Amino acid sequence: MGILLFISVLLIAACGLIYELVAGTLASYLLGDSVLQFSTVIGTYLFAMGIGSALSRYLNRGLVYRFIWIELLLGVIGGFSSALLMLAFAFTQGFSIILYALVIVMGVLVGLEIPLLMRIVRERYNFRDVIAHVLTFDYLGALAASLIFPIVLVPRLGLVRSAMLFGLINVAVALWTTYIFANQLASTRIIRGMCVLVLLGLTVGIAQAKKITATAEDNIYADEIIFARDTRYQHLVLTRFKDDIRLFLNSHLQFSSRDEYRYHEALIHPGLASIRTPRRVLVLGGGDGLAVREILKYPQIESITLVDLDPEMTKIFSSHTMLTQLNQNSLLSPKLRVINADAFPWIDSNTDSFDFIVIDFPDPTNYSLGKLYTTAFYRAVARHLSAQGVIVVQSTSPMFARDSFWCIANTLKQAGLKTYPYHVYVPSFGEWGFVLASQHDYAPPTSLPSGLRFIDVKGIPALFQFPPDMAPLAIPANQLNDQVLVRLYDQDWKDISH
Amino acid sequence: MRRRDFLTTTSAALIGLSLKSDRPIPGSFVNESAQLGHQLRNHASFSPPTKTEKSQVVIVGGGIAGLSAAWRFRKRGFTDFVLLEMNDAAGGNAGWGENEITPYPWAAHYIPVPGPKATYVRELFEDLGVLQNGVWSDRYLCFSPQERLFLYGRWQEGIEPAVGLKPQDREQFQRLEEIFTTHRKSGEFTIPLELGRSQKSADLDKISFADWLRDQKFDSPLVNWYMNYACRDDYGALAKDTSAWAGIHYFVSREPEEKGPLTWPEGNGWITRRLLERVGENVRTNQMVRRIAPSAKKSSASSKRGFTVTTTDTQFETDFVIFAAPTFLAPYLIENFQPQFQPQPLHDFTYSPWLTANLTLDRLPDSRGAEPAWDTVFLDSPTLGYVDATHQSIRSHIDKTVWTFYWALADGDPAQNRRTLLEKDWSYWKEAILHDLERVHSDIRQCVSRIDIMRMGHAMVRPTPGAIFSAERAHIAAQQNSPDARLAFANSDLSGISIFEEAQYHGVTAAESILKKISRR
Repeated sequence: MGILLFISVLLIAACGLIYELVAGTLASYLLGDSVLQFSTVIGTYLFAMGIGSALSRYLNRGLVYRFIWIELLLGVIGGFSSALLMLAFAFTQGFSIILYALVIVMGVLVGLEIPLLMRIVRERYNFRDVIAHVLTFDYLGALAASLIFPIVLVPRLGLVRSAMLFGLINVAVALWTTYIFANQLASTRIIRGMCVLVLLGLTVGIAQAKKITATAEDNIYADEIIFARDTRYQHLVLTRFKDDIRLFLNSHLQFSSRDEYRYHEALIHPGLASIRTPRRVLVLGGGDGLAVREILKYPQIESITLVDLDPEMTKIFSSHTMLTQLNQNSLLSPKLRVINADAFPWIDSNTDSFDFIVIDFPDPTNYSLGKLYTTAFYRAVARHLSAQGVIVVQSTSPMFARDSFWCIANTLKQAGLKTYPYHVYVPSFGEWGFVLASQHDYAPPTSLPSGLRFIDVKGIPALFQFPPDMAPLAIPANQLNDQVLVRLYDQDWKDISH
Repeated sequence: MRRRDFLTTTSAALIGLSLKSDRPIPGSFVNESAQLGHQLRNHASFSPPTKTEKSQVVIVGGGIAGLSAAWRFRKRGFTDFVLLEMNDAAGGNAGWGENEITPYPWAAHYIPVPGPKATYVRELFEDLGVLQNGVWSDRYLCFSPQERLFLYGRWQEGIEPAVGLKPQDREQFQRLEEIFTTHRKSGEFTIPLELGRSQKSADLDKISFADWLRDQKFDSPLVNWYMNYACRDDYGALAKDTSAWAGIHYFVSREPEEKGPLTWPEGNGWITRRLLERVGENVRTNQMVRRIAPSAKKSSASSKRGFTVTTTDTQFETDFVIFAAPTFLAPYLIENFQPQFQPQPLHDFTYSPWLTANLTLDRLPDSRGAEPAWDTVFLDSPTLGYVDATHQSIRSHIDKTVWTFYWALADGDPAQNRRTLLEKDWSYWKEAILHDLERVHSDIRQCVSRIDIMRMGHAMVRPTPGAIFSAERAHIAAQQNSPDARLAFANSDLSGISIFEEAQYHGVTAAESILKKISRR
């Protein structure tokens, strides 16, 4: 019986550490800056444990009974802590408050555990052995938890189910304690009933979490979801694996932080650097601020107008530490004016002219987005071009969606513009294409801003060469009343996925 | 269950919110003109008019025929006319409404891209900027996706059934198309009708479209459904109550050069609005005409007598009248109308009763995975489905809209259906509409915040067998051609089919014939 008792010490120690790790991991996933988050969560947790230990002296009678209650409480609070924190982040403004409140409550309860247990078993062993054994198993449990957490739990179970699993262990310890110390308890019926109830609750939770993680969403996002929100306009998901942050809009990958510089340098510099004196720039779409970051590398630019439908998008990318690091706080630039509006009506009613217009919309996966790739739209955009003006359009992949790419190029041509299609390789996307469009002839730039990692003057002309497997196709233009592009796009991607 | 759904439901439960609870849906009958009209039928007594006005021409009826006559007058620089409209807004079957979300149609909502013969329609669209240098404006051509049909629990693009066809269905659709192509080549099935209609095919007007289909061995249920849908859509009638000539005309008359049709958020109400911008100052609303009688004294400018047109409060002395209201009203209004066709005048003028409803949607209902289309039709529904008023918006994000729901009460006797239309109350029709929509959009009741319903007893003329080549119809339409005639009929029902192009054609030709007579003097 002695060894079993000490194994329960090991188990509750592991539980305590797991909850702490869950809280620290979630905080650093959701708030960014993992060193800060882990330090403060661990510090708070340990401090709260100290409070718990201090409070333990006020507990005098019914120690076993109280110990069982503490285990039960920890099982519930710790077990559901991860789910609760995710909900708090998604649906409330007070994530940090809830986080630290939870950390303190769990810390206090964990701090009470060991002192109480030592006093319970004090009569059976001499004091020296109690201290040695309890602390040994306590630290062993911590080691086990700290190894199992990153290697098995997070990759296999995820944070939600890991916490619940250890909640189950806490409750199991509680239940088991009712049997070992049955003689010290007045009545075991109620407390055992409670244990079974909580066990059931946690089991259901694990089953549900498993069901959730089995959905397509988790198959799409291979990495940990650090942020997910249904805005009024779209389903916005950020994932992270090590230092790679990925943004998905309605399940479509928008960028990977590892190689987005390739995409955004290619989107901006071949066009913008070719303009003699660019002053006013318009960005349609691109609420992540990454295109704006590139545009800000031209000091002569006086104003940038960013039109993005979704205020949540521009808000997150101007406030979330991890993301503002990525866009170098571009959305906070004094040169930038952010307009949260539907692009087509905005373009139709606005009368400003621009030297460079960036059209960076999600791919034409449906007829609503398809409107933003029509002759009518491009004609409306072209009315905003200044005499030296150039348009650049993100135009999906000329490799995987060759018909779609050339449909977009031909649509721009049909809208009365000269077109200059080009392509680059972005590892997370594959071959990706853009079209420059202008009223005048285009000449590749002879100089570029310093500090670019991908685009260089010598390499630009080669981007405009298309090998045979991506060569131009005679595809009809995309019209409002005949959106061939949406059907082509659907077909293109179906073809390669089969 | 997806993670986010789980999170939403859980959090809703946490804060004790209930997402259920069917809210009551408000709404009413709107634009009720039956009561007004029935005063005429019952020869109700009116107080005598208090004012007298003079104008050279009075146009009776502010639908597209009357508005087109007015458009022609003003375009020719002639302004000495008034247009009398009995309701508080002109438009007739091109009426419209508007709420905080969008303008929406109350009746006709599109015009097929006009062919080369429809010169007046093309001229109007050039005036309105819809046709510029021979190019149709892409803002007014119906956006993709145009039409969808729900059948066998799934969607298809287009209304002609293309899913689940058996070999004989396929063969019959193809054979039908070949027959239509032959008729198309004959050049007889034109819009306007008058420019192509010929006695050569008059026999087709003697039998019903259903009989013709049977004679031609078309027994595929899907072919017959589609043919019936077409007749209900354009004529408010079943194929068995439609002239075969008219049934064929529906498919043969339109061979668009451009993918259309032309449409606007408020449907043909958009044209009404543009026409009113041009002729509005000649329009008098709330002027129900009670009587049109030859003038007591000869008019000043001529030896011929003109007319006295009496409304609720005004007496108009005029030289000419264009009767652009539905022709079935003529016997109630015009003194000594058509004595040669007594005792049964207007035998060939049957009208179909219709119901339209506008549903305000606070959010878009579940559409079983399909993107919204302009026109949505359900296979085997007695209704005609609905049209989305925000479809023609250039916005990419639309989360509220108005659906215009169309229902021609085609099955059964029109007079009986008219009685049913008037007897049943608003909630009866509301439930019937929601019930129809629920077959596909299970959560429709949670999305609709208002349903307004318009009942039209005589919504459109019905091309029954014999109606297209009716002698009486030809006689009434030709009246204006007599050099002495001072009364011109102009309603689209003179063609036997009720479409925008015919209404406009008759309105413009009536205006032209009167302008000729005026300039001759």
